[in-house]
Amino acid sequence: MTVLRTLALVVAAAALLSAQQLKFNLDYLAAKASDSVDLSLNGATLQFAARFLSSKDADESKVKKMIASLDGIYIRTFEFKDAGAWAPADLEGVRQQLRGSEWSRIVGVKSGQEGENAEIYVRSENKKINGVAILVSGPKELTIVNIVGPVDLDSLASLGGHLGIPKVEITKHK
Amino acid sequence: MDWLEQELKNTLARKDPPPDFARRVLRGVARRAPSPVWRHSRWLAAAAAVVVITGGAAAWREHQGFVAKEQVMLAFRIAAVKVNHIQTHIQEAAR
Repeated sequence: MTVLRTLALVVAAAALLSAQQLKFNLDYLAAKASDSVDLSLNGATLQFAARFLSSKDADESKVKKMIASLDGIYIRTFEFKDAGAWAPADLEGVRQQLRGSEWSRIVGVKSGQEGENAEIYVRSENKKINGVAILVSGPKELTIVNIVGPVDLDSLASLGGHLGIPKVEITKHK
Repeated sequence: MDWLEQELKNTLARKDPPPDFARRVLRGVARRAPSPVWRHSRWLAAAAAVVVITGGAAAWREHQGFVAKEQVMLAFRIAAVKVNHIQTHIQEAAR
């Protein structure tokens, strides 16, 4: 009986770990932050939420379509009153996971003036994207997003102009 | 027959009940039986409890669904804001 229980716990833990592709152990930063968000939405929660998203509402219908194939969304954001409340070492644990062969960085933006860094990583398996990680850090801000599942970045970007987000027009240079 | 035997015989001798005994017993039984109104109200209370429990469970599920929906919308809002933020930087750099 004990063996079965242990086995069940190991299987459950493995299922949890496989759902979330990145581990963020940044709870200690919440005490220093003036504002923080911690969202852990696994596949079951996403599918449950999908039942309550309206197909008639433009924004909700778009999100409903996007979450249909997702296995999870995990977000941690921190906003700080003062600069220097977090150290680059805090992010090192996450970066180390992103150095794995399955992850590749597709966008990296560094703003010298504002001291901001923004990166997008995609995780692929058999030439198919099955996860996205977004890291945005600034002197007073730290955000880590992990979307698990086949993510369409164009669809995510196209949410600009929706959900109260102003649309950014990207000029394509030929 | 000694005196003890005689005493027992007298004490245990068969006696007929009083004439209104049966009527009094029936009246007592009728008084204790639940009235049809009470019997119905018990069913009504049970039905009301089922309705309240089912309704409560549905409302709780609705509430949980609303919370999950709001969390999903917040997650997409945050992710989309960050992607847009990155796009802005790319656009600025391209200029």
